[in-house]
Amino acid sequence: MMSHSKHLLRVRLGLVVTFCLAALAMIYLSYALPRLLPGDFVTAMYGSSQVTLSAEEEAELRAYYTQEPGFGSYLLKLGNLDWGYSYAFLRPVAELFFEALPWSLLLLGSAHILSMLIGFVTGVEAAWRRGRLVEKGMVGGMTVLEGIPEISTGVLLLLIFALHFSWFPAAGAETAYAQVSFMGRLANIGHHLVLPLATLILAYFPGNFLLTRNSMMMVIKAHYMTTATAKGLPPRRIRYAHGARNALLPLVTRFGLRFAFMITGALVVERIYAYPGLGTLLFNAIQARDLPVIQGVVLMSSLMVLAIILSLELVYRFIDPRIEDASSF
Amino acid sequence: MHLRFSHIVMRDPWFVIGCGLAIVFAAATFLGPPLAPFDPWDMSFTPISPASARHPLGINDAGQDILSELLFAVRNTVGFGLVSGMMALAIGVLIGVSAGWFGGVTDMILMRVADVLLAIPAIMVLILTAALFRPSPWSLAMILALLIWPSVSKGVRAQTLSIRQSLHVKAAAQIGGGKWYIIRRHLIPELYPLYLIGFAAKARMAMFMEASLAFLGLFDPTRKSLGMMISYALRYYYMDIWWNWLLPPILCLSLLIMTVTFLAISVEKVLDPRLREILGEETA
Repeated sequence: MMSHSKHLLRVRLGLVVTFCLAALAMIYLSYALPRLLPGDFVTAMYGSSQVTLSAEEEAELRAYYTQEPGFGSYLLKLGNLDWGYSYAFLRPVAELFFEALPWSLLLLGSAHILSMLIGFVTGVEAAWRRGRLVEKGMVGGMTVLEGIPEISTGVLLLLIFALHFSWFPAAGAETAYAQVSFMGRLANIGHHLVLPLATLILAYFPGNFLLTRNSMMMVIKAHYMTTATAKGLPPRRIRYAHGARNALLPLVTRFGLRFAFMITGALVVERIYAYPGLGTLLFNAIQARDLPVIQGVVLMSSLMVLAIILSLELVYRFIDPRIEDASSF
Repeated sequence: MHLRFSHIVMRDPWFVIGCGLAIVFAAATFLGPPLAPFDPWDMSFTPISPASARHPLGINDAGQDILSELLFAVRNTVGFGLVSGMMALAIGVLIGVSAGWFGGVTDMILMRVADVLLAIPAIMVLILTAALFRPSPWSLAMILALLIWPSVSKGVRAQTLSIRQSLHVKAAAQIGGGKWYIIRRHLIPELYPLYLIGFAAKARMAMFMEASLAFLGLFDPTRKSLGMMISYALRYYYMDIWWNWLLPPILCLSLLIMTVTFLAISVEKVLDPRLREILGEETA
């Protein structure tokens, strides 16, 4: 028993070390890559941007960027939220980042949780009806959906529901300058969220569906399911309390990783619906070639993703110790 | 074993559909330039004109023929996916086999590196390098391959460990087969189903990444790409360009990703009983 809990501790420590290494690698990349640029940083940054510098501004910037700060003080600057100054938006990068972050977290978080839940429930129900026409149709439909990238879903939903039917707004996260009550504002935000959220869910729940269905198919064959049926328990109880609980494991072990998968999709979807999150900020920064913003957003959102995945992994390992064995192969 | 595999796979409708689509895309990829009616960079036509007999998909905002653009774009996206997928597969197999076969410290270091890479969001590294250095698409494909091999190598490593324990490999070692002989003669050929799954998964990811990066405007703007076409067309979405400009690249991209998904899913499905057996043996 003692050695087992020691083993668990070691696995968890290993996990923390892995994620710290990944974070360090990201920070080091964002520190070292700009220094690998040929010529000097100022020419590279401002030479191609839409900003014209006067001679003294250029000299000042050059003096600022040629003082070699070293990796240690770079880390210190990151910790002090000193991530540079955007020359396209004329504001500190940290300010821009924290303004966009809540919208991205709202979109990504709700999309992740909902696509997990929907995928799980439909997967369990499909496995329960195995061999029937409904199940075959569902599996076929999900396989097709799995093949449609969120760029396509996003543009199509925009065409149908925002342009053709005008049911939902085509851009933004809330109506600007609308003087409404708190509840009215919430409804407004929800209304704007529907299309981007639906796009992400449509892109990610088929994967969860197929995963759940496959693991549920194995569970259904287990003897304890026969026992539960023989005891005369109500079908829904057999399905969820006895079956689905045990089919949850493969889904749970991929919870964090699937969140990381969604990042690329979220960038694209935010741009399609002009949703004011980190994806749109990044897109605008790329268009204006605003390197400090690109660098800041890339680094900080990667670190945030790492932190989120790590905490998820630790939490569900705590909830279900079987995961140690399941994810070790 | 291999015969049975190909026999089963041919009866799977997903595989047949996937193969059919793959042939169409291969034709578009290889025959694209001669098939294209115009030079896709020729800007001498009337901008934003609807479809006509001469230009089946019309003209875009820069006065370029959209059908020719589309053929070149498919070619670029497919090429990126294939190159990146193949490189990721090669790296993944090499590292997975080494980790599984040699074990010990090699295994520990390689798998730790794999874990670290698995945690890093690949798209972020690509955006950073693309924004700073504006590398060629081929360099980006290679960087992507260097970031996405770990999941391949994890599967290969697990399979290597189990094949190493199997009787025929032990027998080969007993009759004096050397390390490299066994790796070459038994290990590499027997992992072949994993290559198909790994390659399909990585190529799919790479094509999606290419489209996303192009959509975000991180490639050379004159390079034709499905993502770039969607991005440009989306700027005029309030105009009547849906059917001839926006939908064709969307349809192509979806069909392309579907092709790879179908192939991956059908191969995985056929191999599942075998993989399940192996996993069952391990836990027993």
